[in-house]
Amino acid sequence: MASLIKLENVTKHYGDFKALDGINLEIAEGEVVCVIGPSGSGKSTMIRCINLLEQYDKTGSITVDGVLVQKGSNLKTVRAEVGMVFQSFNLFPHLTILKNIMLAPMRTKGIFKADAEIKARELLAKVGISEQADKYPTQLSGGQQQRVAIARALAMEPKALLFDEPTSALDPEMVGEVLDVIKKLAETGVTMVVVTHEMGFARQVADRVIFMDEGNIVEQGTPREIFDNPKEKRTRNFLRAVLNH
Amino acid sequence: MYKPSVIKQFLISALLWMVWSGIAAAQTDGEDPIIVGANIGNVPWEFQDTDGAFIGFEIDLVTEIGARLNQDLEIINVPFNGLFAAVQSGRIDIAISSIGITEKRLQSVSFTQPYYDSDQSLTTVVGSGITNLNDLRGQVVAVDTGSTGDMWATENQEKYGFSEIRRYEGLAPAMLDVVIGRVKGYISDIPALLYYVKDKPNLAVVERIPTGGQYALMLGKSSSLTNDVNEIITDLKQEGFINQLHEKWFGAPADVGTSTVDVVPMPRPSSGLIFNFVETFLNMDVFMQTYPMLIAGLFTTIQLGALAIVAGLVLGLCLALVRLYANRILQIIVKAYIDVFRSIPLLVLLIIIFYALPFVGLSLSPFYAAAVALTLVSGAYTAEIFRAGIEAIPKGQFEASQALGLGYVHMMRDVILPQAIKIVIPPLTNNCINVIKDTALASVVAMPDLLKQATQAQAVAANPTPLIAAAVIYLMFLLPLVLWVSRLETKFKTGDR
Ligand SMILES: Nc1ncnc2c1ncn2[C@@H]1O[C@H](COP(=O)(O)OP(=O)(O)O)[C@@H](O)[C@H]1O
Ligand SMILES: [Mg+2]
Repeated sequence: MASLIKLENVTKHYGDFKALDGINLEIAEGEVVCVIGPSGSGKSTMIRCINLLEQYDKTGSITVDGVLVQKGSNLKTVRAEVGMVFQSFNLFPHLTILKNIMLAPMRTKGIFKADAEIKARELLAKVGISEQADKYPTQLSGGQQQRVAIARALAMEPKALLFDEPTSALDPEMVGEVLDVIKKLAETGVTMVVVTHEMGFARQVADRVIFMDEGNIVEQGTPREIFDNPKEKRTRNFLRAVLNH
Repeated sequence: MYKPSVIKQFLISALLWMVWSGIAAAQTDGEDPIIVGANIGNVPWEFQDTDGAFIGFEIDLVTEIGARLNQDLEIINVPFNGLFAAVQSGRIDIAISSIGITEKRLQSVSFTQPYYDSDQSLTTVVGSGITNLNDLRGQVVAVDTGSTGDMWATENQEKYGFSEIRRYEGLAPAMLDVVIGRVKGYISDIPALLYYVKDKPNLAVVERIPTGGQYALMLGKSSSLTNDVNEIITDLKQEGFINQLHEKWFGAPADVGTSTVDVVPMPRPSSGLIFNFVETFLNMDVFMQTYPMLIAGLFTTIQLGALAIVAGLVLGLCLALVRLYANRILQIIVKAYIDVFRSIPLLVLLIIIFYALPFVGLSLSPFYAAAVALTLVSGAYTAEIFRAGIEAIPKGQFEASQALGLGYVHMMRDVILPQAIKIVIPPLTNNCINVIKDTALASVVAMPDLLKQATQAQAVAANPTPLIAAAVIYLMFLLPLVLWVSRLETKFKTGDR
C-alpha cells in the first residue's frame, strides 16, 4: 500500500527544548494508527506538525500525498486533505451547527450554499445528531459537540483525519458515543491518526499502535504486539501505569 | 480609553481642594480684587509684551480705574465670546476687549459711557486682488465669533455674496488663515487692524465699514461698580487722560467731538429689564431666534462625528491587524503610531493639522482638518480595542480555522472578527461617544459645529440660553448611548451572550 503521510527525521524545538527528536514514520492510505504515550511525550506536537499548526525544524520533512508540508501555496492542498479534531472541539460559537459544517467547503471549495447544506445534513445524520442542526454549539453536550467537530472535518472530504485526544475533555458517559463514531469511520477506510488514552479503543480499531516517549517513537506494532507483548521497558511501565489505575 | 482611574480622580480632587483653599486664604487677606476679563491678543487694546506682561490701551485704562478705586486688579485672559457669560455670572467684574455697545447686549449686561468711536474694516493680503468689499463675492471671509464684525457680515452676507463666514476666536488665528489664503479677508474692528498691519507690509486695511460702534467697559447688570467706574471715566476724560492714551497707542490725539474726548451719558437699555434666572438662562425668545443656528450646528457635528467614527473604525481595524500579524518592522511602526496618537492632546493635533500643514502646502478645510484629526486619534484607540478583542478569542478558534483550510481573510472575516465584535462593542461605543464629544474641539478651527454655533448665538444675543440649549442637545443624543453601553456591559459581565 502506498504511504499517504510520510515523516522523515522530523525534529521540533521550542527554544532550546526538543519536543520531537528525529521522528520517522510512514502511514499508509486507509491505515488507522493510534498514538499512545505519557503526557508531554510529543504526541500532539507530532500530529500538529502534519498540518503545520506547528512548524517543524528545517532539517526534517513531512509529505502528505507527495506534497511537502510547508508555508506557501501548497499548504492549502495539504490542509484540504488532512482534517483535524481537537480535544476541546473548537466549534465556532457564533455559528449554528449547520453553518459550522458548511463554512469551510463553501469558502475553500466554492461549493454552493444549497449543496453544502445537503452535505452537512447528511454528515449530521451520520454522526447521529440531525435534530441539532439549527442550535448553537453551547446548547449541545460535550459529546454532541465533538461529533459535530468530526462532521465538520469530514465535510472537507479529507483523505486523512488527525484526532488529538478526542475524548479527553468529555464526561465519562459521553466517551462511548464519540468513540463509536470514530470506530464507524475507521471501517469506511479513511486514513486516521488518533492520539488517545483509551487503550481498549486502540486495541479494537488500530491497525498499528505507536508508543512515544520523550519526543521519540519508542516502539510500534499491531495492537497485539504492543499491548500483549511489549518489548521495551518504557512501554511496559507505561501500560502498567495506565491499565492498573 | 479615557476612563480616569480612581487614583487620578483622587489626585484631581486633592489638587482642586488645594487651589480652592489657596484662593480662600488669599481672599481673607483683604478686600477682593476686581477681576477684569480681557481677550488678550486684541491689539492694541490688550496684549502681551515680550516679557508676557499685559499692556494696551484698555489695560492702561482699567489699571488707572483700579488705582482710583483704591482696589487691586486681577486681569485674566478670557476669549471674546466668553466675556458675556463671565460678567453675567459674576465670574469677572469688568470685561474689556473693545466691546461695542449694542441694544441686545444692554438687555443683559451694563456698559459704562463709551471712550472710543469705532468702525469695522476689511483687511486683506496686498496683491491678492481683493481691494474692497465687492471683490469678496463668492469668497470666504473671516470674523471673530459673535463680534460686531460677525453681526455685520451675517446681515450683509447676501448683499456682498460672501460664500461663507468663517468664525475665529481672535485676531491671530484669523490673520493666519488670511495670510495662508484660506480666507480672503478679515472683517474686524478698524483700530485693532490698523495697529496690527502697521509693521506688516504684506497686509492692508483696504476698506472702512461704517458701523458706528462705540467701545465701553462691560459690567454685570446688577454690578455695584458700574456707577463709580463711569464717574472715574468722566474724570479721566476731563483730565485728558484718555486722550493721552489714544495718543500713546495710536500715535495721534483723538478727533474733537468723539467719545474719547467728550463726556457722554451712560447707555441704558430701552426697556428696563432686570436680572432674572429664566430670562437669562432659559430665554424662550433667544432660543426661538437661535435654534435654526443650533440645528445647523448639530447637523455639522453629526456629519463630522459620523465620518470620523467610520474612518476611525476602518483605520483602527487595519492598524490592529498589522499590529498583530504583520512583520516585526511594521508592528513596531504601528505600535509607535498608536502610542503617539493616544498621547497627543487632540486639540494640539487639530491645531497642527489646521494651522501648520498649510506651510508645507497641505491646506485642509476646517471640516476635513477636524475629521482627519479625530480619525487619527480615534483610529489609535480603536486599534487597541480591536486588538484586545481579537486577543480575547481562544487560540483554538484560529487553529480550527487553519486546520479546515480557511485562508487568512476568511478566517478573520468569518470566524474571528464576528466573535471579536461582540467583545468590542461596548468599548467601541464608548469611543464613539468620545469622538462625538471631541467634535466640539473643532470650534477652534472655525468649524461651525454645535458648540461654535451656540457660542456665536450666545455672543450675538448676549445671553447664555443658546449654550444651555446646546448642552441639552448634546445630552439628548449622547445620554442614550451612554445608557446603552452600561446595559451592554452589565449584560456581557453576567455572561448572558
Ligand atoms: N508552545 C510550546 N512552547 C513550549 N513548549 C511546548 C509548547 N507546546 C508543547 N511544548 C512542550 O513540548 C512537549 C511535548 O508536548 P505535547 O506534544 O503537547 O505532548 P503530549 O501531547 O504528548 O502530551 C511538552 O514537554 C510540552 O511542554
Ligand atoms: Mg497532547
